[in-house]
Amino acid sequence: MKALRDAELGAFTFFASALPHDVCGSNGLPLTPNSIKILGRFQILKTITHPRLCQYVDISRGKHERLIVVAEHYSRNVGDFRQGQTASSEKVLQIAYEVLEGLEFMNKHGLVHRALSPNNVLMDCKGNVKLAKFGLYHMTDQGADVDFPIGNPSYLAPEVIAQGSFHPSDPSCDEAPLPSGPKTDIWSLGILLFELCAGRRVLQNIEISDKLKFILTLGCMDDIVTVLAEEHGCLEIIKELPENVVELLRKCLTFLPSKRPTPAELLGDPVFDGISCHYTPFQKPVCLFSSSLRCAHLELPDDIGDLCKDDDEDYMSERGIDEVYHLWCLAGGDLEKELINKEIIQSKPSVCTLPKYVLEDGESFGQGRDRSFLLDDTTVTLSLCQLRNRLKDVAGEAYYPLLEDEQSSLPQSNSSNELSATVTLPLIIRERDTEYQLIRIILFDRLLKGYPYKKNLVWKEARVDIPPLVRGLAWAALLGIEGDIQARYDGIDKDTPIPTDRQIEVDIPRCHQYDELLSSPQGHIKFRRVLKAWVVSHPDLVYWQGLDSLCAPFLYLNFNNEALAYACMSAFIPKYLYNFFLKDNSHVIQEYLTVFSQMIGFHDPELSNHLNEIGFIPDLYAIPWFLTMFTHVFPLHKIFHLWDTLLLGSSSFPFCIGVAILQQLRDRLLANGFNECILLFSDLPEIDIERCVRESINLFRWTPKSTTYRQYAQPTKAGGEGIFGKTATYFSSDYQDMAKTDLSREPLTLCDLKAEVSPRISAEDLIDLCELLLGGPPKRNKSGKPKIVAVDIRNVEDFGRGHVSGSINIPFNSVFGPDGELVQCPATGVLQNYRGRVIVIVSHAVKSAALFAAHLVKVNFPRVCILDGGISKLNPTGLLTVPSPQI
Amino acid sequence: MKKSKFKANGTAEKEFVFEFKAGKNNCVLKVPLQFPVQLNISDLHGRLMLLHKIPCYIEDELKASLSNFIGKETTLDCDREAELALQRLSTGEVDVNQLTSFWARSYAETTLEHAWPEEPSWDEDFADVYHELIHSPASDTLLNLEHNYFVSISELISERDMEIKKLQERQAAEMDKVMHELGNTLSDHDVNAVASQHFDAQQVLENKWASELKQVTGIQKQEYQEWVIKLHQDLQKSHNSSKINEEIKVQPSQLSEAADSGTRIFEEQPLLEESFTIHLGAQLKTMHNLRLVRADVLDFCKHRRHSSSGAKLRRLQTALSLYSSSLCGLVLLVDNRVNSYSGIKREFATVAKECTDFHFLSLEEQLEEVQQVVLYARAQRSSKQKDQSEIQKNGGDDKSKTVERNPSNILPGEFYISRHSNLSEVHVVFHLCVDDNLRSGNITARDPAIMGLRNILKVCCTHDITTVTIPLLLVHDMSEEMTIPWCLKRAELVFKCVKGFMMEMASWDGGVSRTVQFLVPKTISEEMFYQLSNMLPQIFRVSSTLTLTSKH
Repeated sequence: MKALRDAELGAFTFFASALPHDVCGSNGLPLTPNSIKILGRFQILKTITHPRLCQYVDISRGKHERLIVVAEHYSRNVGDFRQGQTASSEKVLQIAYEVLEGLEFMNKHGLVHRALSPNNVLMDCKGNVKLAKFGLYHMTDQGADVDFPIGNPSYLAPEVIAQGSFHPSDPSCDEAPLPSGPKTDIWSLGILLFELCAGRRVLQNIEISDKLKFILTLGCMDDIVTVLAEEHGCLEIIKELPENVVELLRKCLTFLPSKRPTPAELLGDPVFDGISCHYTPFQKPVCLFSSSLRCAHLELPDDIGDLCKDDDEDYMSERGIDEVYHLWCLAGGDLEKELINKEIIQSKPSVCTLPKYVLEDGESFGQGRDRSFLLDDTTVTLSLCQLRNRLKDVAGEAYYPLLEDEQSSLPQSNSSNELSATVTLPLIIRERDTEYQLIRIILFDRLLKGYPYKKNLVWKEARVDIPPLVRGLAWAALLGIEGDIQARYDGIDKDTPIPTDRQIEVDIPRCHQYDELLSSPQGHIKFRRVLKAWVVSHPDLVYWQGLDSLCAPFLYLNFNNEALAYACMSAFIPKYLYNFFLKDNSHVIQEYLTVFSQMIGFHDPELSNHLNEIGFIPDLYAIPWFLTMFTHVFPLHKIFHLWDTLLLGSSSFPFCIGVAILQQLRDRLLANGFNECILLFSDLPEIDIERCVRESINLFRWTPKSTTYRQYAQPTKAGGEGIFGKTATYFSSDYQDMAKTDLSREPLTLCDLKAEVSPRISAEDLIDLCELLLGGPPKRNKSGKPKIVAVDIRNVEDFGRGHVSGSINIPFNSVFGPDGELVQCPATGVLQNYRGRVIVIVSHAVKSAALFAAHLVKVNFPRVCILDGGISKLNPTGLLTVPSPQI
Repeated sequence: MKKSKFKANGTAEKEFVFEFKAGKNNCVLKVPLQFPVQLNISDLHGRLMLLHKIPCYIEDELKASLSNFIGKETTLDCDREAELALQRLSTGEVDVNQLTSFWARSYAETTLEHAWPEEPSWDEDFADVYHELIHSPASDTLLNLEHNYFVSISELISERDMEIKKLQERQAAEMDKVMHELGNTLSDHDVNAVASQHFDAQQVLENKWASELKQVTGIQKQEYQEWVIKLHQDLQKSHNSSKINEEIKVQPSQLSEAADSGTRIFEEQPLLEESFTIHLGAQLKTMHNLRLVRADVLDFCKHRRHSSSGAKLRRLQTALSLYSSSLCGLVLLVDNRVNSYSGIKREFATVAKECTDFHFLSLEEQLEEVQQVVLYARAQRSSKQKDQSEIQKNGGDDKSKTVERNPSNILPGEFYISRHSNLSEVHVVFHLCVDDNLRSGNITARDPAIMGLRNILKVCCTHDITTVTIPLLLVHDMSEEMTIPWCLKRAELVFKCVKGFMMEMASWDGGVSRTVQFLVPKTISEEMFYQLSNMLPQIFRVSSTLTLTSKH
């Protein structure tokens, strides 16, 4: 988005028209409020960036269908410029040309202004034109979603008037007029230019109906410019205008649309010959994911010093408008309050506007028409003082952090101490801290600009947190999206009907509909397209209910970039949900759930014992959790925080999240029987997501990665990560990604897997965690790895013949009585001492180890696992030690 | 080259033709397109490339030519439509005057710039002034003044009651005497004459008092409003608050004397109540508060002396929120006539008259207005129904018949709204019309009364009523047929319906936290009350109690 520079932020408000009471749509669901429709249609306007157009920044919904639009704003407009004096012909041509540039760009994106008037032609401090409110006609669905007509009566083109004003409450016209074409704006421009030349307002102080009648009568005139000039007593002035200006006016004020030029045609017209050479056509900046070179148009000035010449120290205004607005909100900005202060929003107390009588079908009577619902299209400037004040201590260097310096990721400045203190605060507070977010946004912005080259740093910083404003791109970077995603997305057929359409159609209106964006008709359309694109492009997989929920966070974050949403989803599914969407996915899911239930036993034996006792198995509740990666159970804002971490973890991280959720409900689960548990999970209670994330990270740290081995997980990728591959750490890499050796885990059949309460650990992992390899790297970060103890349950003789160094010998029969209870003996004392560590049961046969482990779990020993393949696996390695005979 | 067929609804099919060379072959691609084009051009382009296996070297060319074609044709369509509209004007098919007046009207009705200027409204100005004052140190003074007025009215009322009582006693004695003589010196005729004479005397007395009360309240209201405006002006003029402080101090001293002399003190009834916090919604949850209360419905309205504990605070709370965006509402179940002659309506009217309403019209005047609106609404409806009557003639329309009988009556499920500033805990009263069906056991979720509740909750959403009190059993008094199973069944129905409506409300207002109070009649047993309070958490998922356990 473009930088703020000398622009201001402006806000204006209007009401969407209210829906008739209690009417249902064709699908039997309640109608979407008009304000939500507008909100959805607005989004695309945020992507319309052009030097002649005021950048749209945000829209928000207030009470009673109120909408507040935030956009780039300038306090000067063409209307002020015209006070009294006439404009020079050069100025007129310049304004005309610049307005046309803006209009032409809009038309290319399918937009028509319709409300062009001097108030909406703003001027920046260099005197360049900026068109405002150009999206009003588009976002209101050609005026259908609002009560007021769009456009200023004096500037309406004759065909617009002829097509009639469409008023929903008006019974006389039952059909909406056709949308206006680009040529209507040319007429408005003509009137506007005429006013500039003549130095007076057209049709001032005349009743609206007479104004409109006058415009319609112009059709019978030969020379509209002359007639207008006569009517306003400025024939002399018009006659003295240069030929090309008069020609321009004539072309604009052509009565018949078919003879009137379009903005594009007029832009190439010879009247602009003298001026068009000063303008270079606007080049759209290349976006992050595209096939062309991002630096292709980068031109460095001959003297690099020129770049840092303007030293006015207003670094904030070099940031994007959306960033500034985001920070403005964080610094306590309140749109509604600003508008109330300027008396644009004047609401009556609600007790005064109550209806007197309401019929059974909900129609109300006796409610006076509230004047505060009328349109006041004044744009209010949002004061940035508070924000600037807030950020005045942020040093200039903070705006341009150095990325190559590995030592300090955070910029060194006065406030850096404060910032490093902020890092330790809860995420919720960090996300609302203005300075902190500024620094983080700038850092991520720069890192993402360097993506994929800076991929490693993105990973590193994402571990701290991800600023909400850049989350969409940051996730894409974490998922490793690369290449020309738009072309790939365009190449997928999203229009031809497929059998899945019906199911998608049913699911979308039920997916995260509390959210304004996703419940808007535009949201539904995008949902449909992305889901269809995924289904069509993955012929081996099918649409399972839940895919819609999975799509929701990506679509929400990349609402204006379906291709990126699609790319993220396509990258996410194989990583975390490999083969979950097979037509027959039962073996995948069954294995997944069994591993999950082992994980519950591993981390929380008491809970696991209780759940198994009452028969509350994961199949009953956890399928929607994992199939949708928790998107079906949590609202979006919680999903974001959860996934910020999930995306950093390996594919076994979701198990830990699942266990963490269960642990939050632990007390209630333990206290209740089967029926209550089912009820509890049918409507999952509020989960503290930050705690859940914290605890799942902790659980993950305690989980040896081979314990979550699944044979149906995604097989090892062939190619690897490419040249910018991230450095694999113990936790971020998947177990499946490691090279398979003799010491790795062997696949188990499902029923064998189900029979075991505790997970198995591979010999490889045991060696790694016990640091048996002598030649291995020195102890680096010991704290990062789980503490582990090997328990050898073979008899003493076998133990004496060779065992894992550091392991303790507790023969099977010595600790457990006949009923599986713990016998009091020295061995159990030793075992109790190691309680809390990861206990690896080592034996000859896995079977006895599994039995031993099951007994341990029964008596609530946490973190018990068994060595896959038994001691024999370790024999060939030569790592077993023989104790020296005791003296 | 391009054919176009027009269809009735303005859409047309046009053919896009694209020629290109592939090796030595000249290929032609023809695509029929629907106008106006709804498709995304790059999607269409992608699909064409895929479907027709078009070589990639003409990808860009095809795209350019496709968007050119669509742009050109759309402009042509636009121009044609526009000129058709202009033509309709010039041929007189559409009347210019009518057209322009429509435009003028839609501008005047919807935009501030072109709207007719609004006459200043006394109500709203007063509302602003009051809202400002009640949120200032002057609030105490205001409340004391209000209370003083209340005391003088209640003195008048007790005087009235006394006098009426005396009259009744005297008349009873007289009647006794007459009855003694009946058959001796006096005939039935004489007795009737005495009786009617008594009745007339009572009427005269009541009318006298009614007019006196009305006069006094009128005077009070005017005095009060003038005083408030003056106080506001004074406050604005002099920024030093010493002067106001004096004024504030004067009032309470008068009050304490007045309060002591009061005779009608309402006893604080022992209430049974239980509160719950619930979360509603599948993914995004909204928190609401529920309360189950055993009380009389008018307990929420009755004004109490400041001397009683908490009464003044409650009064202050109500006054503070009067013009705010968190109002309190109450559902009162009434019959189908808009008046206050009988039953609960009469009792409510009595309570409403105990204190002058300084802000809104008196209840009687409000009801008169409602009556007018009801008649207007009926007229509107019947004219609308006439248009559709041809369609629905066959069905036995019971409803319309009852309406035809007396258009001024309202139907079950409909409600009218009155506003009050003088009730203790309520600003808005919903008078929901119910019929005798409600006393029978088997009503469904489609019952008009339930639909009425839904509409009431909807009004709560649109008008910032954040606390609403609903009679749980949909009756104000218990009777014999209301057995324990009846109560449980009814309570379950209302709980479930209200839960459904509250979930619906989240989509109307975006999830504002509310308080819903369920009211049960005072006469139900304690045991019954606890049965109901056990039922509530089963129907609404009550959020977990915070368990404080030591970290293990």
